[in-house]
Amino acid sequence: MTHLLLATIPVFSQLESVMRHVLNFFHASLGLPWAWSIIATTVAVRMLLVPLTIKQIHSMQSLQLHAPEMKRIQQKYKHDKQKQNEELMKFYRENKINPAASCLPMLAQAPVFIALYYTLKSATFTGDLSFLHFVPSIAERPTSFWGGYVLLGIYVLSQLFSSYFMSTTAQPGQRVMLMILPLFIVGFIYRFPSGLTLYWVTTNLWTVGQGLITRRLVQKTPAPALEKRSSRAAPKEDDDGTAGNGASPEPTAPKPAPAANAQPRQVRRKKSTGGRRR
Amino acid sequence: MSAVLRAPRYAGIGLVWAWRLTVGVLFPTSCKYEPSCSEYAIQAVRKHGLVKGSALAGWRLLRCNPWSHGGHDPVR
Repeated sequence: MTHLLLATIPVFSQLESVMRHVLNFFHASLGLPWAWSIIATTVAVRMLLVPLTIKQIHSMQSLQLHAPEMKRIQQKYKHDKQKQNEELMKFYRENKINPAASCLPMLAQAPVFIALYYTLKSATFTGDLSFLHFVPSIAERPTSFWGGYVLLGIYVLSQLFSSYFMSTTAQPGQRVMLMILPLFIVGFIYRFPSGLTLYWVTTNLWTVGQGLITRRLVQKTPAPALEKRSSRAAPKEDDDGTAGNGASPEPTAPKPAPAANAQPRQVRRKKSTGGRRR
Repeated sequence: MSAVLRAPRYAGIGLVWAWRLTVGVLFPTSCKYEPSCSEYAIQAVRKHGLVKGSALAGWRLLRCNPWSHGGHDPVR
């Protein structure tokens, strides 16, 4: 169904040709095998997103600064989730806090994923498609060979670790959700070519690496400009934006604060432009 | 409004759901706005029709970036 739906949109064939060029660059110019070209492309994408990630880390810090006040709001509207969300959002606006998560960086990754899907599905994508001896072909489903199950296993682990670093929550419900999510996604991605699992593993490992480096840096530089800091409670990052639940950052888990302070810019509101829908 | 005139809206809402159930599932990130971008898109299309609703949703998506503040932002 997905395939049919996406195939009808001409934009996706354009995406595929861009992806071909990028993969070709790594394959032909740098002599990397196809599987490694995918990894290189993934790393390149994540490198491009680094400025956004830095911004998110700063945002997380400003959330931590205001954690006690936010906890108070949560307590006050404990029984009305909707109202609680609204009040929290209002609080962000008033205090110029910038919640870490946002849709645009996520959307930036989606075309890469879709383009890769089409490239791997294409009949003209041939050559040595194996990866590290245990995956014979990245163009086939991971379930069609034993190495694919290994790859899926690695994926689950990498997803668990990356969720751990992406989320600052310790809410029991959220934690359970984080644990279940990879299994849920596996039920989805096993139908895609293994190359996509490879993409996912790479991007997760990048997230983990980034998280480790951030934590290290944070420990070394005890947050400057933080006079008001009275609690080490960290806000949570909502993990269910895709299901349309909206964000409801709630401070809970103790976590080291990132290094610098965030000074988010106010975004001017206009009536309408643009045309993409999520 | 007749069902025929409402058809484009349903198509738009269907597309948002298609996104939510396919690619959206793979990205466990969240939205900083309330309602979330996809919910906003559905509401905007339902209220203003496919063309204006899509434009509103597109603009909301652009606003949902790491530099904005998020917040309560219902469809007007």
